[in-house]
Amino acid sequence: MTPFAMKKDIKLALVVDDSPMQCKVLGVLLKEEGYRVFTANDGARGVDMYIKYKPDLVLMDINMPVMNGYEAARKIKSFSQTSLCPLIFITSMDSDQAFIESIDAGGDGILVRPFSPEVFKAKIKSIQRISDLYGQVKRLQQEQQQDAELAEQLMSGVIESRNYALDRIGIVKKPAALFSGDIQLTALSPNGDINILLGDFTGHGLRSSIGAIPLSETFRAMTKKGFSLLEIIAQVNRQLHNLLPPDLFLGAAFVTISSHDSTAYIFNAGLPDCYIYNGVGEIKHKILSSHPPMGVLPTLIGSTKPHVVVVEETDRIVLISDGIVEARNDVGEMFEFERFEEATKQGVLAGNISESVLDAVNEFCQNMPQEDDISLIDIPCSGWQQTFTVSNVSEDTLINSRKQKINAESPAWTWKLKLTGKRLAEINPIPMAMSQIQDIEGNAEHWQSLFTILTELFVNSLDHGVLGLSSDLKNSPEGFVEYFTERDSRLQQLDNGFVDIELNYFPFDLGGKLVVKILDSGTGFDHRKKHSFSQHELNDKVQLCGRGIELVKQLCESMDYYDGGRAVEAAYVWSS
Amino acid sequence: MTIQATTLADNKGIKISINERFDFSLHQQFRDTYQNCNDNGAEFTLDLSNTTYMDSSALGMILLLKDHADKLSGKVVISKPNEAVNKILEIAQFHRLMPIEA
Repeated sequence: MTPFAMKKDIKLALVVDDSPMQCKVLGVLLKEEGYRVFTANDGARGVDMYIKYKPDLVLMDINMPVMNGYEAARKIKSFSQTSLCPLIFITSMDSDQAFIESIDAGGDGILVRPFSPEVFKAKIKSIQRISDLYGQVKRLQQEQQQDAELAEQLMSGVIESRNYALDRIGIVKKPAALFSGDIQLTALSPNGDINILLGDFTGHGLRSSIGAIPLSETFRAMTKKGFSLLEIIAQVNRQLHNLLPPDLFLGAAFVTISSHDSTAYIFNAGLPDCYIYNGVGEIKHKILSSHPPMGVLPTLIGSTKPHVVVVEETDRIVLISDGIVEARNDVGEMFEFERFEEATKQGVLAGNISESVLDAVNEFCQNMPQEDDISLIDIPCSGWQQTFTVSNVSEDTLINSRKQKINAESPAWTWKLKLTGKRLAEINPIPMAMSQIQDIEGNAEHWQSLFTILTELFVNSLDHGVLGLSSDLKNSPEGFVEYFTERDSRLQQLDNGFVDIELNYFPFDLGGKLVVKILDSGTGFDHRKKHSFSQHELNDKVQLCGRGIELVKQLCESMDYYDGGRAVEAAYVWSS
Repeated sequence: MTIQATTLADNKGIKISINERFDFSLHQQFRDTYQNCNDNGAEFTLDLSNTTYMDSSALGMILLLKDHADKLSGKVVISKPNEAVNKILEIAQFHRLMPIEA
């Protein structure tokens, strides 16, 4: 549909002249050009007629009673700021002064008498051509503005409205232009961990927001499938490198808050320092940028890994883009980190970091125009523990399950994966297993519990079985970091060892059962001993019956170790 | 002139000096300084000793220069950034991509 359809066919002209004779002559010429003509005999009346008829063209005499042509032109132009209504002065005053004053008063041209009808018509045509062009530009500009607003609405709809836990995570977003180059994403992973991203694309406006859609899709899809933070970072980097031109990239901070132990994983690639504040507003950690921005290099630098930080319940993680610290006041000073840190401290104490920082920035900048996108994410470190709905399996399903145990030899399908050596160190099999299950059986709510079961069992087999790590290290904050450092170094040196995963699926009439078997190449442990542990064995006991395994036991119908503790079998049953 | 380009004595590269603000407004000018230098192994020295401010578009422009140099099997060296500019290079971890000389 064309917006030009509404355009009226007959153009209106207004002739303002105190000589009825002149009005008549000009009127005849204009009618020959297809105009409908109105006349007024003084400036004031001319203004009234202009307001009443909104003509497409005004012809104006200069010397008139009541209100002269200059004054009338000024008034008319003040009413027609949004549309160009061309106004031509018709005069016998052939002087530079008259010409200059005419243009000053807002006239778009001047015609000096005497002139031939042909010259008059030519002038009208030329002025109408300019006016039409102006109208076109105006319409195009409006259309473009509308398109841009729609695109922006869609984009922020796709990107931000799907963010997770907006009631608990504080997000400040103040774009400098219609499109923001800054992006804030939050998503829930299947095991209850929260992934958060604050990104800052080069520049601002449409050009810089174009990468936002693929970025948010990747971030969400991979989080949902349970990929680790590092895997997500690697993929985001690869994707942006492939998609974007070399001078367009994304400074970004990535955070994972664990839902079941007090840790946060933080990775900063090209953003200002990430902060961790404690409950009384002191800075506990700053995580500096340790990698070029996403999309600069084809792959991540080899040794890249997120920082592992132990957090307390009252801690808050605060991410910012450079727009806040580089905001300028009227004498050109920048807001800087010192003011930001103070405002954040006050915010922690007052229980509202976003508001406190934003108020401080606004007060500092007063009415200075905003040069860059401003954004901040404030993440609480507690309250993410998941409440699993354990054992909501109906009696019928359980009976069914027991009956069908006879058929346990013949599952509907079996999926196996054995990872060894280097591949075991590099590949995360859980998203593959989950995607296999979802591909065959469709998406369902209860797969979330299964994800937790698979993750816990696999990580146990890898960490404690293959890598021989003892989880008593994790009892202290220092030990926690040490545990992950040791884990990384053992993983890097891993060249033999394996983990064997097998899934067997048994459908019931109302639900089903999935049996998970995981076998590792470790030395196992004595799973039958219940009492009288040696100190060493006690440590093993702690690690194997840690929170993770307790959780698995609660979620499963049964879970048993065998083969000297090297193998585990867990049966997960659900009703639909 | 905000940007000055000098061809090095041995003809093996260009020294590009940038005064005051290094930002998007220099985009075209900056490109013009190196675009016609297609000598194999050319070395591009980016002299930032008189640069007072640099934004992320400037980082992007440096990456484009690096792209150009890489195609010629040449290299880019950043020279003498001041403290504020160095902070920006540090945040972007540019020392991992090219040498930065104090």
